[in-house]
Amino acid sequence: MSEDLVKFTVNGQELEAPKGSMLIQATDAAGISIPRFCYHKKLSVAANCRMCLVEVEKAPKPMPACATPIMDGMVVHTKSPKAIAAQKSVMEFLLINHPLDCPICDQGGECELQDISMGFGGDISQYTDEKRVVFDKDIGPLISTELTRCIQCTRCIRFGEEIAGMRELGATDRGDRMVIGTYIEKSVDSEMSGNVIDICPVGALTAKPSRFSARAWELIEHPSIAPHDSVGSNIFVHTQRGKVTRVVPRDNEAINEVWISDRDRFSYQGIYAPDRMTQPMIKQDGEWIAATWDDALQKAVEGINAQGRDQAAAWISPNATLEEHYLMQKLLRGMGSGNVDHRLRQTDFSDQDAAPVMPWLGQRIEDLENVNAALLVGSNVRKAQPLIAHRLRKAVINHDAKVSFVNPREFDWHFPVFAECASSASGMLEDLAAIAKAAGTDAASVATIVNAATVTETHQQIADSLKQSDKAIVLIGDMAQQHPQLAVIRKLADAIAKATNSVLGYIPEANSAAGWLAGTVPHRGPAGSAAAVKGLNVAEMQANPAKALITFNIEPEFDVANPAQALDTARQVGFVVAISSYLSANMKDYADVILPLAMFTETSGTYVNAEGFWQSFNGVSTAEGNSRPGWKILRVLGNLFDLEGFDYISSQDVKDELKQQCQDIQLNNSVECTAVVSIEKSAASLQRVGDVPLYAIDTLVRRSAPLQKTRDAMHDCVRINSKQAELSGVVDSDKVKVNQNNGHAYLSLVIDDGIPDGCVWISAGVQATSSLGENFGPIELEKV
Amino acid sequence: MGGVIMRLLKHYIKSFLFLELIKGAMITGRYLFAKKITVQYPEEKTPMSPRFRGLHAQRRYANGEERCIACKLCEAVCPALAITIDVTERDDGTRRTSRYDIDLFKCIYCGFCEEACPVDAIVETHIFEYHFENRGENIMTKDKLLAVGDKYEEQIAACKAADAKYR
Amino acid sequence: MVDKSMTDTNTILSAHTIEEIDAWLKRFPEDKKKSAVLAALRAAQHQNKGYLTTELMDAVADYLDLSKIEVYEVASFYSMFELNPVARHNVAVCTNVCCMLMGSDTIVNHLENKLGIKLGESTADGRIYLKMEEECLAACAGGPMMQVNHKYYTDLTPDKVDEIIDGLE
Repeated sequence: MSEDLVKFTVNGQELEAPKGSMLIQATDAAGISIPRFCYHKKLSVAANCRMCLVEVEKAPKPMPACATPIMDGMVVHTKSPKAIAAQKSVMEFLLINHPLDCPICDQGGECELQDISMGFGGDISQYTDEKRVVFDKDIGPLISTELTRCIQCTRCIRFGEEIAGMRELGATDRGDRMVIGTYIEKSVDSEMSGNVIDICPVGALTAKPSRFSARAWELIEHPSIAPHDSVGSNIFVHTQRGKVTRVVPRDNEAINEVWISDRDRFSYQGIYAPDRMTQPMIKQDGEWIAATWDDALQKAVEGINAQGRDQAAAWISPNATLEEHYLMQKLLRGMGSGNVDHRLRQTDFSDQDAAPVMPWLGQRIEDLENVNAALLVGSNVRKAQPLIAHRLRKAVINHDAKVSFVNPREFDWHFPVFAECASSASGMLEDLAAIAKAAGTDAASVATIVNAATVTETHQQIADSLKQSDKAIVLIGDMAQQHPQLAVIRKLADAIAKATNSVLGYIPEANSAAGWLAGTVPHRGPAGSAAAVKGLNVAEMQANPAKALITFNIEPEFDVANPAQALDTARQVGFVVAISSYLSANMKDYADVILPLAMFTETSGTYVNAEGFWQSFNGVSTAEGNSRPGWKILRVLGNLFDLEGFDYISSQDVKDELKQQCQDIQLNNSVECTAVVSIEKSAASLQRVGDVPLYAIDTLVRRSAPLQKTRDAMHDCVRINSKQAELSGVVDSDKVKVNQNNGHAYLSLVIDDGIPDGCVWISAGVQATSSLGENFGPIELEKV
Repeated sequence: MGGVIMRLLKHYIKSFLFLELIKGAMITGRYLFAKKITVQYPEEKTPMSPRFRGLHAQRRYANGEERCIACKLCEAVCPALAITIDVTERDDGTRRTSRYDIDLFKCIYCGFCEEACPVDAIVETHIFEYHFENRGENIMTKDKLLAVGDKYEEQIAACKAADAKYR
Repeated sequence: MVDKSMTDTNTILSAHTIEEIDAWLKRFPEDKKKSAVLAALRAAQHQNKGYLTTELMDAVADYLDLSKIEVYEVASFYSMFELNPVARHNVAVCTNVCCMLMGSDTIVNHLENKLGIKLGESTADGRIYLKMEEECLAACAGGPMMQVNHKYYTDLTPDKVDEIIDGLE
């Protein structure tokens, strides 16, 4: 027996537990049930509901199991008359002010209060006075409040403080008038706010989008994987009569613990958007007509063949499944073309041959919470990958990890940041070079720019923090991957990582890890093999538009680095087959055949997360109308093109085929390319910087109405700092005209001092900015 | 030997005197003049228990507000899966059904829905004389149920009141 | 449109208030600014005719690096903070057990009749505010008692109350 273990007895059963742990933890581990409301294994102990009172021998009063540390030789009774009497009394008190509205409560049927009152509640209430009523405030489009039902367990408050890192809910007033809420009319804006719905033991906080849509007992629970970020959160999809009614987290300590982001939770609302494609459509003499699958596929094949199939190109969404990625590249390569790419938002492909087989996190997601120092390059990780940010936050909160950022602007963080550099695209490179210099790098390829760099105190501190820690990481985020000089970022990050003995990692976008493995990159086949025909990357495909194009689950005006140019390209292409879940006005314009695609809940497939973990899932809801799973569409296209090896029976066969080839892959992020690089500085006085906001990243979230109503979705604006506003003469303007490349947009102006000098922050992926160019580049502001 | 002769003799005398025939005729005669219990349906009807379970109805409160709150307990309890409910949030924020269908072909008139209802919205009335001429008429929609409820509210309320003391 | 709270804390909190908060901040460790929240709210309330507004509470939150809701929690919890406009003079009659046994009900009734307002209301002329449910003020030996602004008055009788109230301008 280890010295840290103590022995004690619960209900006559001898147990052992680590010294200092709470009674309820030990009984939970031993499977002894103790009723509780306020205790939650991921939150601090509040001990304010008193439901877990148990009898401890030699203690004068019943003790709360959640706040009683285990001591050697302790004798506990959880079901003795004294314990039961205490629990029943607490239950009676809790029910005094709880309304009897279970029949209309969304929590009814899965309510902890209902369950426990079945065990500990009385048959009749002795309380005859008036119950208290709370008038609710609207706390946003995601969470519905009914605080009359609240039992003041404060789980939601502790969640805000300890997990989400922003205190938005609080308990105001006192005694019987105590109310949980925001006090003022205010929305709860955390990107993980939906989790309070799960942790609320009663029906006080419920999901607004699925309000009143189903009762717990009529839902069928299916395990699945969330598609939007590279965490691959484990989820349960709840369906009712074949339709997705809600999404809740599925516990997986190694990946998402017990949480999921709001994006994963509420994106399903987009599945039933009004513009969902339900029928194959073909363009005949300029008119769109509904067609059968046979006719539509036939027309697609004929169209592509007529344009020359070895010249065809394909743009595939990074959130397509592994199987879809694999079949798409197999289809294109089978046709004799190599023009397939999933890196739609990348702009710099100069070092793509030296890129890792699969850019990955460099470690397990779980291990992120053990790092001592981290440098994130071009990442608003909190919004882009909320659960990766949560792990980093744990590292900061639990053991003061030093997390620094090199970003194109300052962001709002939910943990104390060690250092934050914010500057323009070229400024980011200079910052990185300075950090590399401070770290004492000897990498030859970046020697020139490193030598030219000026090291400030901040740079030195960041370098030192990485050097002095035994578990340090350098992570390349989404904005770095969209950076016009990704190759330089890669080399500098690698130089910093090597000089500071840190792990180099990427935070990949959605399922792009699978894209790399499956070979939806023009220069490499599956599993990193060299491509027989080296195709064009997405930028080259736009410079020399192909004759035939297949788009897979994307909208070029939102999903490609340069939206205006991408849309133009799609229009110029002779024949476009759009495999899409949605029908947009632009698609009607550029496409010739539209094939309706099933969503992630309607197809089987596999997602590969940032740590390279393959997670397969099944189709769980009925595909809308005549839409079909992507792998089946691609398989049939393969058959119709008379290609070899498209005789798969299931998506499992596709996965197995690729898995076979991926067996020997060693994941390695380090950069081997030695070409000397330099920083390209733009002469323009004003530079655009930007990202793709969290609720604009793919077709599905863009159509999730509740997510689009959140504050995090308000991105149709220009942000500049007050100094720049003065320089540009737009201080008093509400609206400005923005010119980039050949496009322009009228956007509202927001003064935000987190934006660096000489920079204009404009997000992509939203309608208002789709007429503009890349996220980084020269831009002009005009007063209107 | 003597027993056999006696039995034959008795049988012979009974047959000869038509005793069995007279016995039978007496029963016929008794019922011919006894008080009749036949109910002359449809002019006459048998009395019904307040718990009689006939055609379904949905009730309203006195102010005209429908009682049903779409809790779906009746749907859950229905052993024949005859009830289908869709829920929606009405403009005033209350929980209501947007669809409430009872398939009378499936319904076994067990009355569980009535037992399960927390607001006495769904009830089974005394109506048992109904028929369908076309397919589809077997579905009692929300409108039909409410119409039945509106028409027979007095009777339903009386039955509920009569039965209340036993609950 | 201006993002973040660009509104300057100093324009809402008066120089005197800030001086007082700073004085209190000196008494606590630097990373425990939260400890000064009660004193800061009291100073802010003084500055604003005896009641707190949401703007004032937000300003205190900004000044002490707290989240706004934390300040709302404190302000709404303690009975000495008023969250709605009140009259000039804050009259708080203790109605806890000891004072109640000594006849605080009579005093409350007398005040209500005299001023024509209920507990929790202010007189129309903006002179007197009767505080709702004042809790024990630790002067039980002198019950019934009341606190007018910051002064204790003990062993009250209706006559004595009249005298005190009439003495307020």
